[in-house]
Amino acid sequence: MRLSRFLAGTFLTFVYGFLLTPFVVVILTSLNAADYLSFPPQALSWRWYGAFFGSASFLTALWTSILVAALTAPLAALIGTPAAIYFVRHMRKYREAFRFAVLSPLILPEILTAIALLFLFNQTVGTYRSIGPLIVSHVVITLPFVFLTVSSALYNLPPNVEEAARTLGADARRTFVHVTFPLIKSGVVTGMLLSFIVSFDNVNLSLLLKPQGQTTLPILLMDNLRYNFDATTAAASVVSALLTLSIVLLIDRLYGLSAVRF
Amino acid sequence: MTAQPSSRWSLFLAAPSLGVVLIFVVLPYANILLMSVREPSTTAVYGDGFTLDNYLKILLDPFYLWLLWRTFKIALVTVMACIVLGYPVALHLARTPSRTRSMLYALVLSPLLTGVVVRCFGWLVLLANNGAVNMLLADLGLPRLRLVYNEFGVIVACVHVFLPMMILPVMNTIQSIDPRYEEAARTLGATPRQAFLRVLLPLSLPGVQSGAVLVFVLTASAYVIPALLGGGRVQTMPTIVVEQLLGTLLWPSGAAIAILLSIGIIVVLLLLLLPLRFAARGVA
Repeated sequence: MRLSRFLAGTFLTFVYGFLLTPFVVVILTSLNAADYLSFPPQALSWRWYGAFFGSASFLTALWTSILVAALTAPLAALIGTPAAIYFVRHMRKYREAFRFAVLSPLILPEILTAIALLFLFNQTVGTYRSIGPLIVSHVVITLPFVFLTVSSALYNLPPNVEEAARTLGADARRTFVHVTFPLIKSGVVTGMLLSFIVSFDNVNLSLLLKPQGQTTLPILLMDNLRYNFDATTAAASVVSALLTLSIVLLIDRLYGLSAVRF
Repeated sequence: MTAQPSSRWSLFLAAPSLGVVLIFVVLPYANILLMSVREPSTTAVYGDGFTLDNYLKILLDPFYLWLLWRTFKIALVTVMACIVLGYPVALHLARTPSRTRSMLYALVLSPLLTGVVVRCFGWLVLLANNGAVNMLLADLGLPRLRLVYNEFGVIVACVHVFLPMMILPVMNTIQSIDPRYEEAARTLGATPRQAFLRVLLPLSLPGVQSGAVLVFVLTASAYVIPALLGGGRVQTMPTIVVEQLLGTLLWPSGAAIAILLSIGIIVVLLLLLLPLRFAARGVA
């Protein structure tokens, strides 16, 4: 009994360790003082972070990623929120079909969606230099996240508050602005922040749909990992992971991570 | 909650999302389906005629069949490894008191919240030919191992990236199982082992099933992981599609590969799900 307990504990520690390992490795690599990438590091320094923040190509890519994510998130919220309200509050027939349609970008293999969209854009607008198609594709893929978080918030709404507002004489618009929206705001904001993360970290869509001559941070990281990886790449990885982590902490601080519930 | 009577204007709420799905999901997928049966052309996106040659060429080419087999082999091994590693963790998370639980839960979620490229980078540094693991082996006087740029490296990273997708559904299922079932089994004389094997495990199989589906689909259609950990030496169906599209611009044949991959995923999933369903019924 005691032995099996010990074995179980060892196994669990191993799996939890396995989950953490690559992050520890990347962080230590980024702090390595040596000229060449080696692990474990012999001495620590911040020099690769200096190299990252001094590199125009990394900073431009970081900026593009932030811009795309910052435009994607509100667009996804603007389209996904009414869809969730319609689904939870108004829909009676074809509910499963509607749900499946809105969640389909999440269910379909992302790389295939990227390929399909690449074809579509190339046949309609040809080769392009704007980030429009990239943002459209990110909105498509993040729409399900907003839909899920807002639906969940609507289901958790105290029952009858909207009816009470209506009974007290508020019209549909006032009810929405003063009652419904404040109560589902947590779902909308959480959905937007999740969309930001998903867009910021996306590779498949960005790889195929990025405009010529521009790149996002994950794509630049990937190119570097393929051809010449040095510790600047590690520093860039840590910076991008810290950015997503701070958004997760923001969600937790605002509404608690339990708001991320589908 | 009761749905309010749907008025005509409420359809406007659904219109934007339905429009997006129709134009940017249904239309493009219909488009690649159409493209896959068009004749290839060197001057335009595709030629005039309709043909099944794109499919036949792939289905009759041993290289593509082997690629399909390898893609599914990697996905199936990843699914099995995720079940073996993930189930105990899910059970532990579901049955642990809340204080330590939230920290471990965050740990399980953490890989989901950092980009896949960052995670692959970590494994590359660890497993590379002059990486940490091989340095350690060399220090111990042991021979070096080839751990990346082969299927092993791809599978390790796939397991790491998709393990949370197994743990979360299994954990949710176990949490929804009333602990009194196990207690009842124990009271009726079952050993802990029997109570687990005959009560908890069969009841948790639906969670394992959804986890297996998720991990299988995600791994079989993963592009970044085989591209990075395979280092160009581990081609899978997704990497070959992207290569064909970006490099050679053979669009109709790329479209056909993409569609064969999706059909293959669906077929393997059905084959995978049927026995699981029987197992669930048999044990229960």
